Amino acid sequence: MRVEYINPFVESAYNVLKEVLSVEIVRGELYLKSTSMPVLGVAAIIGLAGDVEGRVLFDMSKVTAIQIASAMLQSMEMEPIEELNDMGKATITELANMITGQAVTKLHNLGFKFDLTPPAIFTGDNMEIADTGVEALIVPMDLPFGKIEINVAIRERN
Amino acid sequence: MKTKQDFPSINQRKADGLASDGNAYRVLIVDDSLFVTKQIGQILTSEGFEVVGTASNGQEGLDSYKELYPNVDLVTMDITMPKMDGVTALEKIMEFDKNARVIMISALGKQDLVKKSLMLGARNYIVKPLDRKKVLERIMMSLTK
Ligand SMILES: [Mg+2]
Repeated sequence: MRVEYINPFVESAYNVLKEVLSVEIVRGELYLKSTSMPVLGVAAIIGLAGDVEGRVLFDMSKVTAIQIASAMLQSMEMEPIEELNDMGKATITELANMITGQAVTKLHNLGFKFDLTPPAIFTGDNMEIADTGVEALIVPMDLPFGKIEINVAIRERN
Repeated sequence: MKTKQDFPSINQRKADGLASDGNAYRVLIVDDSLFVTKQIGQILTSEGFEVVGTASNGQEGLDSYKELYPNVDLVTMDITMPKMDGVTALEKIMEFDKNARVIMISALGKQDLVKKSLMLGARNYIVKPLDRKKVLERIMMSLTK
């Protein structure tokens, strides 16, 4: 995977999380992961298509997802959530959409043309997402609510 | 995130959501995220706008617009949505009603997408994340121009 792809995701994740949650964000060290990977409990996924194909996965524990969604809802004077209900899921997928949208916009300005799909969300303990033969870069973000792992897998079309 | 500027003084000030005749502007909100439709709805109703409909994809947005017409003053239109994207829905709404007031609200800020939307007739383009001030400012610009 080309390294130019990853920085826009790191920057956008940092900017968007900071803007919508107004909390301290600490960026962890990037690392590589290969083959199918178990997720932490909640995974929002967005597909990428165009000059490249791939996907971005936002992986976090259920507790973290509930806390992040609650913080976003409360910043809009809406009720916090106790369960990861439809509103909670819609909030987490929109967070994924905002981060990916900003990253895709930055990449577009660098000359990489591709688009994103509407997000989907998976929940469940020890769930595995199989992407056979895809190498992914992980961008860990530490928040007061727990960590989010942003898992980016992009490959050039043949 | 709230700042002082988000809460303008209410002294003698007409709510943004009321037209010059005193009636509320009627808004259709199109976005595939329940979070965003609530968020935009919250911002607009707090200023006196009336949310007359919500839709979760472009096709539903187009159908709702036709159903509501002519009793709708403004559409907020997301872009990345299932079934039909917001740019296609914008194009079809403009074909149906060339005076439609549509504002794009998207996480994507790509220049070509902004240009294309404005060329197709969108009145404005707001890039997410949203805040109260940004949304109200852009919406007022498109209602008064
Ligand atoms: Mg959307």
